Amino acid sequence: MNEDPSRRDVLKTAARGAGLLAIGGVAVTLVRRAGADQDWEIDPSKCLNIRLGAVGMAACEECATNCVLPLSAVRAVNDYAKCGRCCICPGYFDVKSDTGKDGLPTRKLCPRDAIKREAIGEIDPYDPLNNFYEYVIDESKCNGCGLCVMACKEPAGLGSIRLEVRYDLCVACNRCSIAKVCPEDALLRTNSRGA
Amino acid sequence: MRYELAKTIPSGSIASTWFREAVRGISVDDAGALYVVGDKRVIILEPSGEMRTSWSTEVEGLCVATDAKGQVYVGARGRIDVFDKKGGLVKSWRDAERLGIVTQIAFYDGWVLVGDVTGRCIRRFDESGTWKNDIGTGGRLRGFFIPNGHVDFAVQADGIIRACNPAKHRVERYTLDGELLDHFGKWGGRHVEDFPGCCNPTNLALGPTGHVVVTEKAPPRMKVYDDAGRLLAHVGSDLFDPNCKNMDVAVGREGRIYVVDTARLRVLQFEPREVESPGSVDSTKDLIEPTPAGGVTP
Repeated sequence: MNEDPSRRDVLKTAARGAGLLAIGGVAVTLVRRAGADQDWEIDPSKCLNIRLGAVGMAACEECATNCVLPLSAVRAVNDYAKCGRCCICPGYFDVKSDTGKDGLPTRKLCPRDAIKREAIGEIDPYDPLNNFYEYVIDESKCNGCGLCVMACKEPAGLGSIRLEVRYDLCVACNRCSIAKVCPEDALLRTNSRGA
Repeated sequence: MRYELAKTIPSGSIASTWFREAVRGISVDDAGALYVVGDKRVIILEPSGEMRTSWSTEVEGLCVATDAKGQVYVGARGRIDVFDKKGGLVKSWRDAERLGIVTQIAFYDGWVLVGDVTGRCIRRFDESGTWKNDIGTGGRLRGFFIPNGHVDFAVQADGIIRACNPAKHRVERYTLDGELLDHFGKWGGRHVEDFPGCCNPTNLALGPTGHVVVTEKAPPRMKVYDDAGRLLAHVGSDLFDPNCKNMDVAVGREGRIYVVDTARLRVLQFEPREVESPGSVDSTKDLIEPTPAGGVTP
């Protein structure tokens, strides 16, 4: 009995293997593509930190603590078109802290010091109230805790700072761990990248 | 001195039935009648609180004032409409450059003073609508610092203007020619006599004895200062909806104060009461609780 496989058998086995590999590859690609088209995003009309009407309460920090990433994919974003460029921004300063010698609050609000404040335009170095200010969020520090978002919201501020899921950072989990714990059910799965 | 809530207008319900979307401005004439503007409607109330008359406006009014002839001026976006006492349109001022968003109107000695949010200043016109000069544009910021989007002011009997400069946390005094005379007020989140938040006070009116009545947002409060800027009285935030912003205020001849609750769409009327032992206001009474230590020092 000849136990050596014939050339035909070798070719058959190779073709079968190649077929299985191709099917597996297509399946993985399809699954990946399906996931890539789906993004998580925050519904501003539901998020406690963003939505109007929810004032005088502590900020919800679930986005900062529940993302699977070491630094949450949710970050604060300042909309410059809406920002009032205030001297005393309630999202930057802790407006419940004492007054310093310069007439400004003595403490910042962000526990990670993730907001930078800089005078812009024609600057008066002697009177801080006589300048406009730009507030830039340092995304390498921001963890999306939402303290600044809650503090900047109307009527205290103009609501220029909001929370967003950063698509370039989000790994698009099938079941977002933030969505699972969000008390307001504010994380939605959308096709925002377009199919 | 203290102020007590005498009544709400209209009374009897949480939400107003007169306005559905917004109550923007109020004023009181010499006879004590209250003028209220909101949505696309003007309502005039007798001193007793009963409605005297009302009429519709073409656009949403943002402020209302009455001149010595009894004409009713309604400020809006890009225009001022002037009505007679019964609501008939007398004339309409339109000025694309100088009437952007009109949030306050006042009169003095033949001049019409207009608060323009777009220009961040007070504009002086004569009665025919001819522009004379701007007030409040002289500083480095070239206008009032108003992230809250509202210019409010009042004119003293001697023609001196008292104006809010909210993001500077000041009440400023100007001449009609635009010269800044002085100011009072400073930022402070811990004591009631200071102005908290990003931008307060937002609205202002003058009492018959020269008292300066202001309103604040976040938390909403009404405060009364004397001419020198010393706090005389304040009404805490528990009477207003916490979402109120830019609450217009007006003072009648007898010292009665009207404040708009912009969230519940109604007007609150406060009556002055003399206290037996007048003295300084307890600045710790409405103390804002500090947040626990741990914030970052700037």
